[in-house]
Amino acid sequence: MIRFEQVSKTYPGGHQALSHVDFHIKPGEMAFLTGHSGAGKSTLLKLISIMERPTAGRVLINGHDLRKIKSSQVPFVRRDIGMIFQDHRLLMDKSVFDNVALPLIIEGYSVQEARKRVLAALEKVGLADKYRHYPQMLSGGEQQRVGIARAIVNKPPLLLADEPTGNLDPKLSMEIIRLFESFNKVGVAVLIATHDLGLIARLKYRTLTLKEGRLINDGLEEEPLA
Amino acid sequence: MSLLFGNRESAAGAQQRQKLAWYRRALMVPVHHLQQAVASLGELWRNPFASLLTMAVLGLSLTLPSALYVLVKNTSAISGEWQQASQMSLFLRKDLDEQTRQTLKTQWELDPRIDEVTLITKEQGLAEFRQRSGFGETLDYLENNPLPDVLLVIPAESFRAPEKAESLLAELEGAREVEFGKLDVQWLERLQALLNLAKDILGGLGLLLCLSVVLIVGNTIRLNILSQREAIVVMKLVGATNAFIQRPFLYTGVWYGFVGGILAWLATALLIWWVESSVLTVTELYDTQFQLAGLSFNEMLFVWLIAVVLGLAGSYLAVRRHIRSIEPQ
Repeated sequence: MIRFEQVSKTYPGGHQALSHVDFHIKPGEMAFLTGHSGAGKSTLLKLISIMERPTAGRVLINGHDLRKIKSSQVPFVRRDIGMIFQDHRLLMDKSVFDNVALPLIIEGYSVQEARKRVLAALEKVGLADKYRHYPQMLSGGEQQRVGIARAIVNKPPLLLADEPTGNLDPKLSMEIIRLFESFNKVGVAVLIATHDLGLIARLKYRTLTLKEGRLINDGLEEEPLA
Repeated sequence: MSLLFGNRESAAGAQQRQKLAWYRRALMVPVHHLQQAVASLGELWRNPFASLLTMAVLGLSLTLPSALYVLVKNTSAISGEWQQASQMSLFLRKDLDEQTRQTLKTQWELDPRIDEVTLITKEQGLAEFRQRSGFGETLDYLENNPLPDVLLVIPAESFRAPEKAESLLAELEGAREVEFGKLDVQWLERLQALLNLAKDILGGLGLLLCLSVVLIVGNTIRLNILSQREAIVVMKLVGATNAFIQRPFLYTGVWYGFVGGILAWLATALLIWWVESSVLTVTELYDTQFQLAGLSFNEMLFVWLIAVVLGLAGSYLAVRRHIRSIEPQ
């Protein structure tokens, strides 16, 4: 599903964020991406969603080399990837419904056609009754779940999450992770970047560990990094 | 359609994705445009003061050229009327006898290029001059009549244009009996030159004002875009194309032009109404009936079209530059 082949990324100015990263996440797999801040987690996710381009190496999604994707095609790639952010990235002046409907409207659905899917997505994250609310009226955990509903509303085969539990307490964090597990169960590949090692330790999932831009561990996280 | 997952419908995890029939998608295009047009109007409505300012600037900028245009149009109409009535005076030599004058008159009357010939004898001329000038008694001191006989010639319809009348006059002047001729077009030519000057000024000024409208609208839209930066980033993250994101901004520009054009009409009409009474006073002094013509329906449509095009052009400039440059970080 996602394949990195000797991927390096050097930012203008010389900072090397990733060097020679190699891994493959299979369709329907769920994996964590971890490491200290600045280890390159965000850069790695940005390479998948083509917010950045690698300096060397190849990134492939479903066998497609992302180097061959022109910038005019990038939006269409992003429609295949559900993205979740630590800061939710919701439109604050739009209702929950409008926020979740956004990816469908962008794809050309009318509001009526989108309605059923939006409500179904909100149902999955347990916010079906709050579709009329505005993001400010919701708690942090609820806002995060709106972001998740938006990411899954067009049923992408791949979910990327960047510190989705960053601002949440352990109980809420676990709820969010359970939500990801439920999507994974129906076959969606999920890659979650997090530095919440305690959370990872409790779940036996494949974990990619980055340190200073290098992939130093790929497998089950046995013990938290010091 | 999915770029990376050609078989996304059947791809693991993605449940059966309800496909939209092509004709429904085709139908959705105009509906979407309409929705976005209305949505951006709503957006303007939410911030009416700032948008009205931009619309007013646009409208008033277009008012000046359209008012100037109305002025030039009316002046052209007047000078056109006067040109039609052009007549020439041919002053005859003083040593002619009555018969020669009559012969010349008859000869010219037969000329197909000439409509009408009137003889004003020096006695008639003096009487008229006495009556009109108010020098009545002074003229009595003159020992003899200094005025020549005059033949007033009105050219045929097809010879009334300035150049043709000019050449006709040159020919008539060539006659032995004629001292010299005068075509009353010199002031007309001056008026024509002034009109041309006004037209050139109108063109230059109009162009400058249009350019400034484009820049003003562009700047306003640029500020709109920058204030929506966060939302644009979010839309790009969930897969919106530049075309999708820029559409509401383009519609905003169109609305600026739409309303600005109407403001330009109103302001032009107001301006015409304002000067109409003084124009009437002037024309009454000249004993002429004159109706000041405002913008015709077609001209109004044209002003409107220009306004909308300028609004669109301004927003397009801003959108092209700024939507692309905003990328998620």
